[in-house]
Amino acid sequence: MNDIITIAIPKGRILEESVSLFSRIGIDCRELLEDSRKLIFENSEQKMRYMIVRATDVPTYVEYGCADMGIVGRDTLMEQERDLYEPLDLKFGYCRMIVAEPANLAGNDDPCLWSHIRVATKYPRVTEKWFASRGIQVEVIKLYGSIELAPLVGLSERIVDLVSTGETLKQNGLVEVETISEITARLVVNRASLKIKQKKITEIIHDLENILQDNQKINR
Amino acid sequence: MFISAPDISLPRGVTDFLPDSAARINRIESEIRRVFRLWGFRRIITPKLEYEDVMSIGMAEELKGKTYRFDDRQTGKLLALPPDITPQIARIVATRLKNFPLPHRICYSGRVLRQTETQAGQNREIFQSGVELIGLDSPEADAEMVAMAIEILTTLNINDFKVDLGHVEFCRAILSDSGLSGKPLADIRIALSHKDRCAVEKIAIEAGLSDEVKREIMLLPRLFGGREVLGLAESSIRSGRALDALRNLKETVHILDIHGVGDYLTIDLGEMRGLDYHTGITFESFIPGLGEPVCSGGRYDRLMGMYGFPAPATGLTFNVLNLLQAIERAPEYGRFLNTDFLLLNMREEKREALEIARILRSRNYSVARDIIRRPVEDSIDYARWMQIGFMLLIDRKPGIYEVVRVSDGLRKSFSREELDGDNFLTFIKS
Repeated sequence: MNDIITIAIPKGRILEESVSLFSRIGIDCRELLEDSRKLIFENSEQKMRYMIVRATDVPTYVEYGCADMGIVGRDTLMEQERDLYEPLDLKFGYCRMIVAEPANLAGNDDPCLWSHIRVATKYPRVTEKWFASRGIQVEVIKLYGSIELAPLVGLSERIVDLVSTGETLKQNGLVEVETISEITARLVVNRASLKIKQKKITEIIHDLENILQDNQKINR
Repeated sequence: MFISAPDISLPRGVTDFLPDSAARINRIESEIRRVFRLWGFRRIITPKLEYEDVMSIGMAEELKGKTYRFDDRQTGKLLALPPDITPQIARIVATRLKNFPLPHRICYSGRVLRQTETQAGQNREIFQSGVELIGLDSPEADAEMVAMAIEILTTLNINDFKVDLGHVEFCRAILSDSGLSGKPLADIRIALSHKDRCAVEKIAIEAGLSDEVKREIMLLPRLFGGREVLGLAESSIRSGRALDALRNLKETVHILDIHGVGDYLTIDLGEMRGLDYHTGITFESFIPGLGEPVCSGGRYDRLMGMYGFPAPATGLTFNVLNLLQAIERAPEYGRFLNTDFLLLNMREEKREALEIARILRSRNYSVARDIIRRPVEDSIDYARWMQIGFMLLIDRKPGIYEVVRVSDGLRKSFSREELDGDNFLTFIKS
């Protein structure tokens, strides 16, 4: 048990990218991509175990030590502020967390003059902190999806959400006014695991880091 | 549908411990205290209330915001429920024990309260058992803390743990040599505590650090592992103060090798997590599957001075509930039977029953009397439920007792004389 490494990965795009990244450091986990309802996969030969969980649950499984490592977007980490190591930026899953508002409001709006505003978001904690750090009081409305709808029906004036191409914003008549943070997928590691399974985890981090650096060179 | 809240609930973050858990806690605490005593530490019992301004003199910054405080009706001053016992010990040594010769070897075992965010799983009540070694500044004193922590963990039958050693001055020296201050410094500390090398690099570039300084800072998130880390740091770091810290750490590791506990050690030179009163060697002990350390400690050479009694000091503290969690997860750790015998008297006459109970207790067996009149089978059920090991029946036949092993119902008869014999001992040891 002590020498098996468990990794928590969310379904979807992060899963595909993770599988291909791991295959490049000699860890074969293609079986995760098979259409299956299995939630846990074990490769006893490579001494690896994989758990398929919801993205927002990845930090929880890792913090409690059910998984030694996890792969998760930085947006989730920012929102949850867990006590985890985040040794690697995996560089995929790029998007941005932004403040947006209806185009007609943006025309004569100056973010410096905002005082008490209403913001709909999936990220109440980040939103609260972002505006508080600039002295703006904010009423946060927590939503679970389709955030872009909120300003269209008057639930809030503004939203905090993720954008990658900006297409959804555009189609709903919204414009971006501020960037809060750039988001990519991160490798997170449980604190005890890093100490106790140090050799294997260091090896994985090191190998991934080399691959990522090579990628960067190619991109330049 | 709404779930109606019961009106006799308990605040979040505190727990009732039922006999099973309480027995385990008791066992853990008494083992810890036994080892403390074997190393020459003497217990102090600190009060549950202090003046807030006195406590806060020596309180780590991160604990100040977590203190429960309220008004004292008698004096109008602010009272605090201590969130940490170390400042209390510092106060006591600086006042009550200041004329005693050094060093002081002091231990404590108690509970502290800390405000936490309402996130699930966070305890507000923390069971701490720890020691303070005051008046010694040598690496041998630091090594004593680590070696004792390791002895306690092995005594508790925990073997797959690691003790992670660090030195707070190492990072501090490199950061202060870098010239960073204000927000970039605060940001880089957070990034380092997450070992987020990309963020460290980004902040270093934005702050315009020279290549050399940047190279050293970027090493920090990766300076963890086995002994090889010490050599790597020595050959790649130039800061004189950081190298002093490294020498101090190497000496401590060397002494721990002499203690014979070198295999349990890992090294992390990039760890930023010590409390802010720490000044030298720090350590944390981890068990697989538990994100929080079960034990932590370190040197705090400036704290005593804040209470007017400058003296070097080091200490450690066990988080007993984290140990309990680790132990409850491992079934091989064994069960704790609460009571050895349930004594059931089938006669009107009470003298014999009370006498047998007295004899068994004098041999250190715990004995409870089943005073209720009920069928024998119901009593066995009760014993099973309460995790009592054996039932002893005093039947109509004088001088003959039937002993029932509760786990499987196996019965055997013993005469009064046989209660002293080997047969009886073998049966109840089985």
